[in-house]
Amino acid sequence: MSRRYERLTLPARIESLSALREFALAGADRAGLSSAERDKLDLVLEELIVNITRYAYQPGEGDVELAYAIDGPGALAIRITDKGRFFNPLTAPEPDLTEELDRRGVGGLGVFLAKRLAGPIRYRRDRGRNTLCFRLP
Amino acid sequence: MKIEAIQLDKAVLLRVNGRMDAESAHEFEEACQHWMSQGARHLIAELDGLQYISSMGLRSFLAVAQKMKAASGSLVLCGLTGLPRQVFEMTRLIGVLSVYDSASEAIAGLP
Repeated sequence: MSRRYERLTLPARIESLSALREFALAGADRAGLSSAERDKLDLVLEELIVNITRYAYQPGEGDVELAYAIDGPGALAIRITDKGRFFNPLTAPEPDLTEELDRRGVGGLGVFLAKRLAGPIRYRRDRGRNTLCFRLP
Repeated sequence: MKIEAIQLDKAVLLRVNGRMDAESAHEFEEACQHWMSQGARHLIAELDGLQYISSMGLRSFLAVAQKMKAASGSLVLCGLTGLPRQVFEMTRLIGVLSVYDSASEAIAGLP
């Protein structure tokens, strides 16, 4: 069964985050997501979109499209698409979580958190686009 | 994000309220930098009112804690609850950073 997606496209910049967030959270409310799942969605979206603004594009160029579809009662399917360079954040090395404070790096935590909170995230490169899909819960 | 600072005998207590995300995390680092430049050796971040933290917020806590340690001081956290606490636990930052349940315990734990 094909899902009907609502979409919002904005410049791939940190400043777009709050509007993208509001858009997705309105979808979460329409779908009847629990507040715990809604909070997870909030965080996973930020982590994945920040990554796109940083790594898929040169600063200030390109758009990101956020789309959601209600996927049964209390569930939401999310799709994030950009037209930047080939970039699969899911293959980034896992951060080392065992280092002491002095040596603890700050990279890689965002994607790590997104994967832990969203469950399976799928990446696809197709016709010059990067697409990430996941579902909550 | 709203940060309220209270000067104590041995430390500055920073009450952090709201969201610590990609847009706002720098405000926390700037507040800490300000108090470091005023000579504060120990900072206590009281996080009862922290509703949300992303990896950008975690980066800020790590960066400030590393700076404070390098200056023979410390950054201590307290009052973490809900998803922010889970995020610190998942990334195993509880243990790397000093985390107490309450501000009074954090104050009592200062050297």
